[in-house]
Amino acid sequence: MKKILIIEDDESLCLELKELLENASYKAFVLKDFSNILEQITEITPDLILLDINIPGTNGEVLLQNLRKTSSLPVIMVTSKNTEVDEVLSMSYGADDYITKPYNPTILLLRIASIFKRMENNSSICTYRDLTINFQKGIIKKSNIEIILTKNEMIIFSYLLNNRNKIVTRDELMTDLWNNNEYINDNALTVNISRLRAKLKEVGFENAIETRKGIGYILL
Amino acid sequence: MKISLFFKDKMPSFILSTSFYLITLLMFLAFKIDSSLIIVFSISFFLLLLSLFLISYFKKKSFYNQLLFNIENLDKSYLVLETINKPNFYEGKLLYQALYDINKSMSENIKSFSLQTTDFKQYIEMWIHEIKIPISSLNIMAHNHKDKFDKKTLKQLKKIENYVDQVLYYVRSNNPEKDYLINEVELNKVIMNVALKNKDSLLEQKIDFIVSNINNKVYTDSKWLEFILNQIINNSIKYKKETTNSYIKVEVIEESDKTILTITDNGIGIPTIDLPRVFEKTFTGNNGRLKTKSTGMGLFIAKNLCNKLGHKINIESKEGEYTKVFIIFSKNKYYEVAR
Repeated sequence: MKKILIIEDDESLCLELKELLENASYKAFVLKDFSNILEQITEITPDLILLDINIPGTNGEVLLQNLRKTSSLPVIMVTSKNTEVDEVLSMSYGADDYITKPYNPTILLLRIASIFKRMENNSSICTYRDLTINFQKGIIKKSNIEIILTKNEMIIFSYLLNNRNKIVTRDELMTDLWNNNEYINDNALTVNISRLRAKLKEVGFENAIETRKGIGYILL
Repeated sequence: MKISLFFKDKMPSFILSTSFYLITLLMFLAFKIDSSLIIVFSISFFLLLLSLFLISYFKKKSFYNQLLFNIENLDKSYLVLETINKPNFYEGKLLYQALYDINKSMSENIKSFSLQTTDFKQYIEMWIHEIKIPISSLNIMAHNHKDKFDKKTLKQLKKIENYVDQVLYYVRSNNPEKDYLINEVELNKVIMNVALKNKDSLLEQKIDFIVSNINNKVYTDSKWLEFILNQIINNSIKYKKETTNSYIKVEVIEESDKTILTITDNGIGIPTIDLPRVFEKTFTGNNGRLKTKSTGMGLFIAKNLCNKLGHKINIESKEGEYTKVFIIFSKNKYYEVAR
């Protein structure tokens, strides 16, 4: 399980963030003591840090600079300072992403997932049961059968696959699609899912995507 | 400084001198003084009078004319004292000193106000950063406990978010200091952020969001542009038509010297008489009064921000049919824009 460290001074926000991350099956840590942050980071050894710019005693940008001297740990700046200057500065100090408050929780989770995906670096080819999936080419393959997926179908399938055996809401799928510049509506999502089901049926997985009424979908 | 008016002003002393002359003349006549002496006296007396009058006129004329001319021609007339020569006559010195003192006390007064405004702006900016924390918490709470929060709560939260943003950008757009940064920005990314922000309302109101293939880059401040687009999209959502299939279309036209971003909706449109005034502060127009409460600030701030960034913003509309907003970015003129 991936470990995520939250560095943020507002307590209630920290607790909510922690719950959000834990529901998304990450292990979340909240920093309580803002002295010796760097030592605490080495102790916890997180896989990713959510860092606020305004933290007591020091400043997120300075902290990031100091951290970058020794480590290349992925850092997402999460801040209420909504200016281009701060974003450019943070990115130049080595932040991997910059999100401004108030943010959409689903988008935060997407950003975190995409950073982990980038790190693992083998994201372009994946498997599902005996299928090989090439995300970049949009192809699923079963021994000698090759099926081409559209961009939308691919986005939906990869989201379901990344959250396999978990219920995925329509809103999450929609957010992921919109996050990829595919601004489709509700009907189109339904159509895309049924097309994806039909294509999976061709390779022998008729009931791979189940509908959980009123909640969403699940890939078994 | 007009010589006739100056002369009129000097009338009392002129009358006084003339009466003095007449008395002297009478005395000369009474003492039977030789008429040639009287003529010589008369000539020299009037010469003296005239030269005194002219000297004092020309001395003052150069100072006052310069003062008046500069006041008229300076765009900041309160700086006039810096532009004129110090006068060399007593009245002028008094006036100069008085103006100097008045100026100084007014500057101090203005400075205290400007400090107050700066303080206030800083407080507002800080407050906005603070208020965003509970809003974020609420956002995540709503996500974590979907059973306790319904979509209506989220909608209200979105409204709060938008109003807070308006205040922030209103303060920023009025700041003389430069707190924006012009960068090469992918339009695609900005549009995506705005789309995601409005995703729920767009889906709920069944408005199709159509974005043609956009891969253009423009020079702008992405945060400011995001705010501007958000105001436009918000309006399109607010003023949609109830009957037809609604859409919002985002397109880009690339020209040799500029990039034009257009946002078109098929909403209720804007009446022709209201169209020229939509960018005015607190102007709500017929639509604003018809629909839910409107502050009339969104487009005003958007226009202000566009002006600062060097973009142009225009609106074209036909009542009952469509509204089309153009944002025009000039190209390859980075330094001109940045200035």
